[in-house]
Amino acid sequence: MAKSTLVISRQPALGGPGPREALDIVLAGGAFELPLALLFAGPGVTQLLAADSAALEQKDLSANLSALPLFGVEAIYAEAAALQRLGILPEQLPAWVTPLAPDALAALIHDHDQVISI
Amino acid sequence: MTTLHLFSRSPLLDADALDGLRWVRVGDAVLLTGGAVEALRPGSAAARQLAQLPAEATLHALEEDVQARRLQPERAVTLIDYPTFVDLSVSYAKVISWT
Repeated sequence: MAKSTLVISRQPALGGPGPREALDIVLAGGAFELPLALLFAGPGVTQLLAADSAALEQKDLSANLSALPLFGVEAIYAEAAALQRLGILPEQLPAWVTPLAPDALAALIHDHDQVISI
Repeated sequence: MTTLHLFSRSPLLDADALDGLRWVRVGDAVLLTGGAVEALRPGSAAARQLAQLPAEATLHALEEDVQARRLQPERAVTLIDYPTFVDLSVSYAKVISWT
C-alpha cells in the first residue's frame, strides 16, 4: 500500500515560491491517486483567502486550490489557532477546508507515514 | 509512530523557525542543527519555546554548531556528531524537516 503523506504548507500567500511548491506536490500526488492530505498551518492559512492578483501581477493560487477536490485530494485542513491569530473567520474559508484544533492537528501529523513541511 | 523533528533555521532570523516544536509528542525526538541551536542560549525567547517541549521528548543538537557559538545549554541535551545524526534519522519511523 502506498505510504500516506501529509503536506504542510506554512508560507504566507504572495510571500515566495513555497505555496506553489506545496500545491504542485499535492496535485501531482493526487493525479497518481496517492493517499495525500494537505494542511495549511501558521502564516500558510492566508493562502486560503482569494488574493487580488491584478494588484501585484502575480498569479493567484486560490483558483488552483479549489481544483484539489477534482484531483481527488479531499483531506484539506487548516490550523484553527493560526486562523484565530490572523483574525480569519471560518466563513471566509472555502467549504472544502476543515479547521483543526491543536490536538487533532498533532494526531494528523502523527498518523501519516510521511510529512513534508514547506 | 515516533518522529524525529529536525530544525535548522535560526530563531534569530525567523520568528517561526521553531513553530514545529508545538507538534512534538511524547516519544518523539528533536534535533537542532545550524542556526536552530540558538534555542539553547539560556534565557533567550527561543529557549522558552524549547522549554515547552514535553519532558519525555528527547533533545539532541549537533555538537559542532553548539561549540561554534560557545553555547552552554541549561537544559538536558545530547550533543551528537554527523554519524549519530544518520543513526537517529533511520531509528525513527519518520523524520519531519521543519524548514
